[in-house]
Amino acid sequence: MNVTHHRHRIPKAALAAALSALLIAGTGCSSKADGDGAGDSADGVKGGPGVTEKSIRLGALTDLTGPYATLGKSIVQAQQMWADETNAQGGICDRKIEIVVKDHGYDVQKAVTAYADISPDVVALPQVIGSPVVAALLDDIERDEVLTFPQAWAASLLGKDPVQVLGTTYDIDMIAAVDYLTRAKGLKKGDTIGHVYFEGDYGANALEGSKWAAQRAGLKVAGQEIKATDTDLSAQVSALRKAGVKAVLISAGPAQTASLVGVAASRGLRVPVVSSAPGYAPQLMKTPAAAALEAMLNVVSAAPAVSSDLPGVKRMVAAYQKKYPGSPVDSGVLSGYNAAQLLGADLKKACEKGSLAREDVVKAHRSQKNADTGLGTPQDFTDVSRPASVSTYVLKPDGKAVGGLVGVEDAHSAPGVEEYLSSNG
Amino acid sequence: MTGFLDNVLTGLALGAVYALVALGFVTIFKASGVLNFAHGSLLLLGGYLTAILHDDLGFAGALAVAVLVTAAVAGAMDRLLLQRGEQDPRTAHVQTIVTIGVDIVLVTDLARRIGGDLLSLGDPWGDAVTSLGPLTVADSRLAAIAVSALAIAAAFALFRFTPWGLSLRAAAEDAEAAALMGVRLTRIRTVAWCLAGGLAALAAVFLAAFPAPGLERTTGQIALKAFPAAILGGMASPAGALAGSLLIGLTEALVAGYQTELHVLGEGFGDVAPYAVMVLVLLVRPTGLFAAKGATRV
Repeated sequence: MNVTHHRHRIPKAALAAALSALLIAGTGCSSKADGDGAGDSADGVKGGPGVTEKSIRLGALTDLTGPYATLGKSIVQAQQMWADETNAQGGICDRKIEIVVKDHGYDVQKAVTAYADISPDVVALPQVIGSPVVAALLDDIERDEVLTFPQAWAASLLGKDPVQVLGTTYDIDMIAAVDYLTRAKGLKKGDTIGHVYFEGDYGANALEGSKWAAQRAGLKVAGQEIKATDTDLSAQVSALRKAGVKAVLISAGPAQTASLVGVAASRGLRVPVVSSAPGYAPQLMKTPAAAALEAMLNVVSAAPAVSSDLPGVKRMVAAYQKKYPGSPVDSGVLSGYNAAQLLGADLKKACEKGSLAREDVVKAHRSQKNADTGLGTPQDFTDVSRPASVSTYVLKPDGKAVGGLVGVEDAHSAPGVEEYLSSNG
Repeated sequence: MTGFLDNVLTGLALGAVYALVALGFVTIFKASGVLNFAHGSLLLLGGYLTAILHDDLGFAGALAVAVLVTAAVAGAMDRLLLQRGEQDPRTAHVQTIVTIGVDIVLVTDLARRIGGDLLSLGDPWGDAVTSLGPLTVADSRLAAIAVSALAIAAAFALFRFTPWGLSLRAAAEDAEAAALMGVRLTRIRTVAWCLAGGLAALAAVFLAAFPAPGLERTTGQIALKAFPAAILGGMASPAGALAGSLLIGLTEALVAGYQTELHVLGEGFGDVAPYAVMVLVLLVRPTGLFAAKGATRV
């Protein structure tokens, strides 16, 4: 058999594939004319992109088909509910609120295209899911001065005027977690705590917090870096057991938390485990690890449990369940609704000052020193380099509660947080 | 020492699960010369079917349906998409690329259906563990070791002692000569693809069972870890697939277990380790641990 004379076929096929890929990519990057021009409207309020006489348009870059599809759907529905409620009361600045939702499926490339598509025609982005997505869009967002609330909490997102991380950052959460362990779970000087964390911004920022707090409390940290596709944490549990950990912190996804706690419990490593908020989802209560999670896990979060008694939260949960029966009420609902309300307050303030232009919305936002929506702790947006809040709740899993979590401790700021923030400059 | 043995046991159990996937790669490669990049999505399909059917059919019934359907899908994929046109072993590269396309289609649809859920497969082991002295191992992993051993032995027997196995080996050796001798290449191939599809569905159960929290949309990606396993096993023998898988499982468990000590090698060494082992093995034995004899004869 002579093979050689057929060889040229393959590069040709590859070339054709590459060419068609290029063509497809080329057509995907459609450019759109810039949005309606600025200028004063009849009521004397200065307009800008996304603002007309009758409407204010907001954008959401979300994930409805990717790994965070459940979260994305919750936030989209919660923010739509806010828009409907606001419009029923006459809207903001006598204009109706519209939200344009774009699904990027956690694909940075698609998100960049979607941003280019909607950005000329929106005032602000009350939802952008995904740290890598936010990272890729940072320069554009800063240039366009679009007020953006990312659903990501890495401290690296601080210090940008139009970008607002809501609540605490991951490092602050972990400082609170270490404080909780020493205060409520009896960890003492000299003990070792494990920290299982995702590679990337999320894990790195969380580890920074845990290391700082551990040093302050005289504890040692045994770190275990994992990635999103690691769902069997047996080897990590072995390593943690060998290191003699008295407690474990985890900054990963829900699947990793379930595996970590399930495996640790089955191997007799029954130590307290504290997770960041993104590491828990109510679906975990249906996995084999449910019992172990209820016994061992705590979650630190800037937001209260969805099952909380706060009147604002109760009202929102009731309204959500009425509007979207059958949809789970998770933390995404709460954070999405909260973000939308905060943005609503910014828009109202900007309107009072006479301009809905993007840069003025950002200015209005940065003037809010005590923004309180009744859905948790008040936030301070005036210092661009500081987290908007440093108060965290401690929650624990409960299969029977709405949202799968109940409160353990009310919001408070962990000792040392101020010291940490000033040492980080 | 306990820590070391613990890691070894974890690694072997993990390797046993990879072996089921790697065996699928090997069977397909042997029969058609195609590297099946859609194996991960076939695995996800099998897992998804088991997950949605186990409430109605029970675990065993659901698994049986999942294995059959996944086998049928794999067979159909080979028959309808890959075997079109001439029976030419030289088009295997093109067919390999086609499997990438099939993978994207299957994964996209399944991911849309699964969304952000963690699906339970309803397996009978739950979170039970067995203690061996100071060591503990999940029952699901013991089952995985037993099932992999059985599957590998069965595949070995099938290749060695059945008329189909003989035809398969003949076709792998020289397709043209085999066809001239009356071997029905099309059928041989399709049966191999079906077999691999069934194995993928079986592997899904163990990848989603206890130490893991359930079936996720990304579970299929784990199948890619069996790639280096199959390659360093030589791509052509079930025994090689098993040895390669155990080696990869061990590497992964030990690297994770000694992450702190291995920190000098840099962040994320765990991701690279299986491939580093693969490259090291291939440096010493360029055709893999258990390469096909034909490849070494001149």
